[in-house]
Amino acid sequence: MGGKAARTSAARDQIRAQREAEKKREKRRRMVTIATAAVVAVAAIAAGAWYSALQSRSETAGADTAPVTVQADGSAVMAMPGVEKPVLDIYEDFQCPACKALEETSGNTIKNLAAEGKVKVVFHPITIFGQEPTKSNSVRAGAAARCVPSGQWLAYHDKLFEGQPSETVEGFKVEELVAWGKEVGVTDPGFEKCVTSQQHAKAQQDYSTKVLDSGAVTKGTPTVRLNGTELEDTAFRPADLRQAVLDAAK
Amino acid sequence: MVLVTSDHPAPVRSRSVQRALPWVTTAARLVVAGVLIVAGWLKIGNPALSVRAVEAYELLPGSVATVVGYGLPILEIVVGVLLVVGLLTRAAGIVSALLMLAFVIGIASAWARGLLIDCGCFGGGGRLEEGQDPGYLWEIIRDFGIFLLAAWIVWFAPGRFALDSALGIAPEREPYDQADGLDLDDEHDADDAGDEAGGASDEKENG
Repeated sequence: MGGKAARTSAARDQIRAQREAEKKREKRRRMVTIATAAVVAVAAIAAGAWYSALQSRSETAGADTAPVTVQADGSAVMAMPGVEKPVLDIYEDFQCPACKALEETSGNTIKNLAAEGKVKVVFHPITIFGQEPTKSNSVRAGAAARCVPSGQWLAYHDKLFEGQPSETVEGFKVEELVAWGKEVGVTDPGFEKCVTSQQHAKAQQDYSTKVLDSGAVTKGTPTVRLNGTELEDTAFRPADLRQAVLDAAK
Repeated sequence: MVLVTSDHPAPVRSRSVQRALPWVTTAARLVVAGVLIVAGWLKIGNPALSVRAVEAYELLPGSVATVVGYGLPILEIVVGVLLVVGLLTRAAGIVSALLMLAFVIGIASAWARGLLIDCGCFGGGGRLEEGQDPGYLWEIIRDFGIFLLAAWIVWFAPGRFALDSALGIAPEREPYDQADGLDLDDEHDADDAGDEAGGASDEKENG
């Protein structure tokens, strides 16, 4: 009888030890599974963020830009002589932060493509805002750009985006607008008066109304159209934008 | 659960509540995941604007805002997918809750400072009506609601249909789990038996 009890006790100990080992194995297996899943998730996030950064990487500016010709309606064409298509229409507001983001991200690509003779770019500076202070800021900047001759227009356009005020304050003051013009080399004696008197403010507003009523801008600014087709997010990914333009040129 | 014996009504009711809990968690997971995946998907095609959107809050230093702008959309999508499949559910719930808390703080702070986060350039038709409300209050209420759902997920992880359970990495002390061990087969058997009983009672009701 005593022997049997001892045997039972020994068997119990053995079972307990087995269970303990089993538990330990199970715990290790759980840790490995959790760690694997966590590492994969974090790696996916890191890879995705890296890819996003690559997608919005800007081109470096080329040595030259294509000549700009300001049109009677206040839009500006940037193209090498004789390049008529494809046409890239850019509807933008100097006060709009998303337009500034477009310029910072894809501005060089757009200039380079025009300089390479791959595309005819048409800038349409409009006033999209209906509230103050953004509305007046935008009109002042748009009207001032209309005072700038073709030779300095592109540099002035870039300067305006660079100096874009916050949407909550009054900005693009006439003194700034005059100073920036002189900075980019505007020598026209009538320029200062043209800006300070806001000579083209009505033309800027009328042109904006005309563009908005035409249905060219449905979602807001910036709107980028390649041969009339809206590019949406592609316009903000320089490499994709370049490819879309090259494909359209075929 | 309609079949109630007169001797022990209370335990049966609490058991039915306990059976509903994990389904609530599953529903919460799907709602939070849906919001995160849609939010991430809308931003992921346009990293430049995503960065710009983070900068608009004027809360983070430039380089941090850039990293967050690039990383946030994919983070939202990955966390959303984890919630859908119920993998690392509790951790995904914690991240979701922290994200929503950050959004609530960011929006409230922008509101207090009078910033226009929805910059107006992407408004309906592009022309903002005079005096249009940017809708900050609604956004705060919405994000706080999602925060509460995320908190539920953290508390009652992982719910039904979760990879965590299938892989045996669910949190050990599940509030609704009556079985004391981790043996999944037993748990499933118990569930199946319960479902069968429920089905039988339904049949009786119908008949």
